[in-house]
Amino acid sequence: MTANSVPSKIFTPKAARPAPVKTTGAVAWMRQNLFNGWFNTILTLAIVVGVGSVLPAMLDWVFLSASFSGAAQADCTGTGACWVFINAWSQQLFYGTYPAEEIWRINICVVLMAGVLSAPVWLPHHLRNRVDIALLLLFPLVAVVIMDGRLLGLQYVSTDHWGGFTFNVMLAAVSMILGMPLGFLWALGRRSTSMPMIRSICVVLIEFFRGVPILALFFMGSVMLPLFFPEGTTVDKLLRVWIVLVLFMAGYMAEVYRGGFQAIPKGQYEAADSLGLSYWQTTLLVILPQVIKVSMPNILATAVMLFKNTTFLLIIGVPEVLNTAQSALNNSAWLGGYASEAYLFVGFVFWCCCFGMSMVSNHIERKLDTTRR
Amino acid sequence: MLKKTAMLAIGLTAGVSLSAQAGTLEDVQKRGVVSCGVSTGLAGFSQKDEKGQWSGMDVDVCRAVAAAVFGDDTKVQYKPLTAKERFTALQSGEVDILSRNTTWTQSRDTSLGLNFVGVNYYDGQGFMVSKKLGVKSALELDGATVCIQAGTTTELNLADYFRANGLKYTAITFDTSDQTRAAFESGRCDVLTSDQSQLYALRIGLQKPDEAIVLPEVISKEPLGPAVRQGDDVWFNIAKWSLAAMIEAESLGITSKNAADLVASGTPDQKRFLGVEGDFGKNMGISNDWAKNITLKVGNYGESFERNVGQGSPLKIARGLNAQWNQGGILYSWPIR
Repeated sequence: MTANSVPSKIFTPKAARPAPVKTTGAVAWMRQNLFNGWFNTILTLAIVVGVGSVLPAMLDWVFLSASFSGAAQADCTGTGACWVFINAWSQQLFYGTYPAEEIWRINICVVLMAGVLSAPVWLPHHLRNRVDIALLLLFPLVAVVIMDGRLLGLQYVSTDHWGGFTFNVMLAAVSMILGMPLGFLWALGRRSTSMPMIRSICVVLIEFFRGVPILALFFMGSVMLPLFFPEGTTVDKLLRVWIVLVLFMAGYMAEVYRGGFQAIPKGQYEAADSLGLSYWQTTLLVILPQVIKVSMPNILATAVMLFKNTTFLLIIGVPEVLNTAQSALNNSAWLGGYASEAYLFVGFVFWCCCFGMSMVSNHIERKLDTTRR
Repeated sequence: MLKKTAMLAIGLTAGVSLSAQAGTLEDVQKRGVVSCGVSTGLAGFSQKDEKGQWSGMDVDVCRAVAAAVFGDDTKVQYKPLTAKERFTALQSGEVDILSRNTTWTQSRDTSLGLNFVGVNYYDGQGFMVSKKLGVKSALELDGATVCIQAGTTTELNLADYFRANGLKYTAITFDTSDQTRAAFESGRCDVLTSDQSQLYALRIGLQKPDEAIVLPEVISKEPLGPAVRQGDDVWFNIAKWSLAAMIEAESLGITSKNAADLVASGTPDQKRFLGVEGDFGKNMGISNDWAKNITLKVGNYGESFERNVGQGSPLKIARGLNAQWNQGGILYSWPIR
């Protein structure tokens, strides 16, 4: 067989011409999104000029002429930021003045916390409800016992040494864990029609803790409350602010749940009644799961808010991360004015955590969204 | 119901008055540490280092009391307190001694249920200006914009001083030292006013410390001293004499270095101080070598001053009023005999 015997009538299309430059590639994208119209063009140019004039100086300050390595103020030789400051104080910024050789205990607590909070993901399905609730409620107790150390025969570390960023994280977590069920009880009480006394108490509690700024609550906890106790009985300052945080969280959560309750159709209650379920069975087995599902975005938003609010403890002298940063700034060996570095760092760490939390909350919301409304 | 509540209230009130009789010294000895209220962070007075160790003039008073009671200056539990909660913490018994940069004033001494035990630093409000201004005296500050670091009495003193001298001014108040410093540096104000000890700390933090000067005028008296709860004379005595012993040690020439040697070779004065002769500790309910322990562990007042705020520190504050009475200052301790 030779090539010639094959009829050469096969259709060979011409190579396609490239699409017009105007409609593809980066140029087209910019045309469509950045320069479509005179107004957007001006805006784009203004932003480019604005960013262009700030960014190089900022990058230079943060990275290029910054000092990174060293342990003392003398090592801050660059003209930019002095990250040596953060480096030297990092242990205190994260762990407070907890003894260095005992820091593993804080790490264990943080790992435990991550485990407990993510328990719904890794627990087998049939165990989830009961075990998870038990784990959550046990965690604050276990964390306190580990941090304190006396019950376990470890070195006793008094609450004066608890501090730093891990303390912010754990305080927020344990306040949330205790505040959520308490808030649910308050919300139930507020909805109660048969017990007016309970209802008024709940309304007063919710409105008080929601209506008073958290700073004022902290001041009450740290300055006023001790005067009410008989002299000689001092309640630990940390315990006092923890109680304040739990109650504050409960007040907010109660309102979040109330929104959730209102979204539950009346038919759900009637269906539960017709099955002969008791009040608590109806509430816990039928209503609560739906309430939590509906109010998940708000619950997580409130959690992020509470986490950030823990920095307010600064003003009553609790050594959380911002307070630690400020006392580091006042150390006579570091009087060079490193406030920008300190606040930028704290802001960055918080942003990372809050961003992570919102990613997780997005994931949870998608997972819970079974109705595809 | 009402009766029950009333009885409960009476019971609580009775409980308060009863437990007020307990002695602080016994409590402290039982607990094994002195609980000491300090500032959350004040350069040279109470500050934490990178390892979490406390140091400073105010901290040294806590250490001295611990050394007097236990012979060990590390048996202190530091409670960082803000300005607002400091007196409550002392009243409620959360701290045994408040050594937190607190000005000894008549109203505080008489109405807050506390007793000041002495003065560990004579401070006073002053002014810092930029050299460019060419100002040599605070009296030339008419019409100036003044940055104030919000304090309890700073603003009042400023208003008094300017009004008394017929000067006008505009005040800008800031909450933290960083903000005050930044405002001063950026030129938002011509003058910065605060306690002099703080002005030196703020000045070091400036980008160009040499371009600012602290004016000679001191417009207020700020005797800073530790305080204890009123009504416990045993504890009051211990705190008062722990501070006095630091000052007395300096005037007797006893330092942390030579104290051990002077036990054998010292003058009668020095031997009495070091507890070789007499029962001066016993009278206070603590051991007789209390003053020796203070000097050995903490040092005398001069050593503490130079280490924390003086030439041995970045602050480099001159002794000034805080020198001994025979050296041009006003420190004068009562004899231990």
